[in-house]
Amino acid sequence: MTPLAWLRSRYQRWFHGWLARRIPEEQEVVLNRRRIFILPSRAGFAFLGVVALLWLVATNYQNNLVFAFAALLASMFVVAIFHSYANLSGLRLRVEQVDPAFAGHRARVVIALGQQGRPRLRDELTLSFPGASPVVATLPGAAASTELFVPAPRRGWLRPGRLTVESHYPLGLFRVWTHVLPACKGIVYPRPIRGEPLALGDGGGEGEARLVAGGSEDFIGLDKYRPGESLNRVAWKHQAQGRGMLSKQFGESISRSLWLDWRAFPGLDREARLSRLCQWLLTVSAADEVYGLRLPGVETELARGPAHRDRLLALLALFEVAD
Amino acid sequence: MATPPWQLSRHGTLWILIGFAVAVAPLLRHLPPWLAAVGAIAMLWRIQIYRGRWGAPGRWLKLALVALGGAGLLLSFGGLAGLEPMVSLLVIAYALKLLEMHGRRDALVAIYLGFFVAVVQGLFDQGITTALQVLAGVVAVSAGLAGANQRDLHGRPGRPLASAAILVAQALPLMLVLFLLMPRLGPLWDVPTPGRSAITGMGDTVAPGDITRLSRSAGIAFRVRFEGEIPPRGQLYWRGLTLSQFDGRRWSRGPSGETARASGPAQRRDGGFSDYSVTLERTGTDWLYALAVPEPLSRGVGVKSDYTLVNPAPVHARMGYRARAWHAGAMDAAGLAPGIRAETMALPAGSNPRTVATARAWAREAPSPEALIDRVLQLFNRQFVYTLEPARLGRHGVDDFLWTTREGFCEHFASAFTLFMRAAGIPARVVVGYQGGEAHPEGYLIVRHYDAHAWAEVWLDGRGWVRVDPTAAVAPERIRMSLVDLFAAEDGLFADSPLSLVRFRDVGWINQLRLRMDAVEYAWGRWVLGYDDVQLDLLARLLGRVDAGRMALLLLAAGLLALAPVLAIALWPTRRHPRDGADRAYLRFCTRMASLGVARRPGEGVRDFAERAARARPELAASIRAISLCYEKSRYGRGGDQVRQLRRRVASLRG
Repeated sequence: MTPLAWLRSRYQRWFHGWLARRIPEEQEVVLNRRRIFILPSRAGFAFLGVVALLWLVATNYQNNLVFAFAALLASMFVVAIFHSYANLSGLRLRVEQVDPAFAGHRARVVIALGQQGRPRLRDELTLSFPGASPVVATLPGAAASTELFVPAPRRGWLRPGRLTVESHYPLGLFRVWTHVLPACKGIVYPRPIRGEPLALGDGGGEGEARLVAGGSEDFIGLDKYRPGESLNRVAWKHQAQGRGMLSKQFGESISRSLWLDWRAFPGLDREARLSRLCQWLLTVSAADEVYGLRLPGVETELARGPAHRDRLLALLALFEVAD
Repeated sequence: MATPPWQLSRHGTLWILIGFAVAVAPLLRHLPPWLAAVGAIAMLWRIQIYRGRWGAPGRWLKLALVALGGAGLLLSFGGLAGLEPMVSLLVIAYALKLLEMHGRRDALVAIYLGFFVAVVQGLFDQGITTALQVLAGVVAVSAGLAGANQRDLHGRPGRPLASAAILVAQALPLMLVLFLLMPRLGPLWDVPTPGRSAITGMGDTVAPGDITRLSRSAGIAFRVRFEGEIPPRGQLYWRGLTLSQFDGRRWSRGPSGETARASGPAQRRDGGFSDYSVTLERTGTDWLYALAVPEPLSRGVGVKSDYTLVNPAPVHARMGYRARAWHAGAMDAAGLAPGIRAETMALPAGSNPRTVATARAWAREAPSPEALIDRVLQLFNRQFVYTLEPARLGRHGVDDFLWTTREGFCEHFASAFTLFMRAAGIPARVVVGYQGGEAHPEGYLIVRHYDAHAWAEVWLDGRGWVRVDPTAAVAPERIRMSLVDLFAAEDGLFADSPLSLVRFRDVGWINQLRLRMDAVEYAWGRWVLGYDDVQLDLLARLLGRVDAGRMALLLLAAGLLALAPVLAIALWPTRRHPRDGADRAYLRFCTRMASLGVARRPGEGVRDFAERAARARPELAASIRAISLCYEKSRYGRGGDQVRQLRRRVASLRG
């Protein structure tokens, strides 16, 4: 490690520690002096350059009119500090919800914006999570909400991290920003991977677990599109007809209740098994089967329906995951 | 992290264009006229680009445009040195930048150029009108900057202007503080100055016809306020330069006129004196105007060996200075330095032979220099005509004037008289400056270019330099009244100022208006543009002693005071934590829960608290959750009746 990189990593560690102490995790964030940082932007420094140039002109020409206007621009720079600060100060932020997503996709985070005190027009608020493309929001009235899509690389709990709220309003001379940590977490399901489950002679329970393996992908029906699903599956024709965003569901023709079993994928590691179980689960639930899940130490009831599916997906997502 | 692609908003484009127009338009009167066309085409082009009709210029076209602009400047100015060509170049760059505002940086460059161009106008003229134009330019350009950093909301194109105007208005108090308190430095290096040709005013040489030309202008040369009575009109000889070198036609400064004396020449300071402050319009030259015998009271102003005042640098903007006039003072009374004597007695060889011969003859006949002077003045008085349009003179101009045409303006008389004296063995020189001035009802004096005058000074043993005004001999009324009254019927006067209100000085209300406008302009020049002079005085009176520490403290205190209103507006809502109905109801709920044994912890979120309270008080769980939800909705939702519902729920919890 070069000394510079070492210094940088030290600084970043220190900065994150300091930030964690100064702006801890909160349910609801109200931006105030403690949380708002403000520094001139590059455009602001350039503006100061213009002021300095005019001051030089005024001095060299002994011209009081030019001097007065150089002073006016300098004063505008100072006044802009307060306007920039006021654009963020008193802003309330809360993460309304984090939608579940499959690993490798992006999760939708809904952020509610509100105001403390007298509502004022708040313009050009750029919100971003690490790794998510920023969203520019305005708050013309008392409240608004906005959405961000955060990458969900791994199965388990998704913590979007620090939310950066940034603004260059009104003149772009200052960057006003804050890194807040609104309390929120979302769930990330395993990445679905198609696999060939072994037929397990498993004589227990109500359903006779006869598996019809493989087969072509038969169209089963339409289901409400869930963010994170592949766009290839969207029924664009329906979408175009204004019937909402639906996704086509495919599956093998299996007609009986069955157990999605951990042991059906021998020789694979944990994550690979969970991924295959996940795809299997999606397939059978799309076919409206009655099914249950068996994981080491876990056995669910047999049922059907979206609520059951989501509960089982959550089990897969959080299997052997520390909180 | 990818940022969203930046696009200049519609209102941003609109205001950048308006800013361009407002910043550049007033400058055009100082710049070549074709720049107006360049600006108009650039604006039109930009509008067409915006509407998608025309494309942005390609690289080659842009290069060609730049080359064309440069060539135009070379043609108009013959070079790029000087203030006008440089400002023109800036305007061209500004116009072309409008055409290539692709990214945020391009827009910023255009806007910052706009600020610079708008303010630089002040180098050409510093009047109130210009100040207002610059202010308009700064506001309009700021609106462009605001527009580029705002969203177009609700289709209100005036929003950027409103933001900019508010910001500028809030900045004014702080600007005033900076203007009043920031110390001024002297010039750091030499700068290109506005072209001398554009300025009406006195040159440093005088040939027949020069001052006549100046009399065509009603422009203002300077204004004077006396601390006390204005001396009688006949005493108001504003000395500018002494000219002691003569080539037979043209008078110019001699070598001694160029040298300044560090300590100032020896002066006999007795008798009464008058103190006065002069507000000089820009002259582009370094000499100042003063009454004899002058003593400068402003820092930096020096006295030359010929008792004229000199500024350290050419006066390129209106400036003020104070001086004292010793009425009974004498110049070089103790004796004349040999160099100056030689210089002020030199005659150009072979020039004006008849005058020289006559002068020598008269000198032999005269019992004293005074008698000789009287004789020449009487000659002028009896046989000469004072006119704005004298006949043309030949090679021996003074000979022609004295013995043939016998009509002329002040420079003819001064020139002839001085040459005559020299030939008679008396050191003599021509003095140029202004004579008289118009007394303003508010007690100051306005001196205009048509008050320009030339007279002579002769050196007499024991008395030093003595002023002799041959024009007074031929036309004493010229000294008693102003040229306007003297030549009221002649067309030549004001030929260069067709719109001057001085023309209508006979119409009562126009004359009133003219004098009122001049009073405002004068006050502006004296208190704003000439503030440097008062600043040190004022600071010293305010602080007792001016040092860096006290200055910094004063600046800080005054700056904070100036910012107080802005601070109040910006920080008010968050500082006081105003509680609305929802907050109050929720706080009542918290107190109620605390009395039930579940107190909300500091920093605990609304939801967390609701869950904890619901667990602790399962019998109230439904109410608690409903109240929390209601409160959250009132904070983040749009429903107005949430507050009422919340109040009702909290009240029912209490019951």
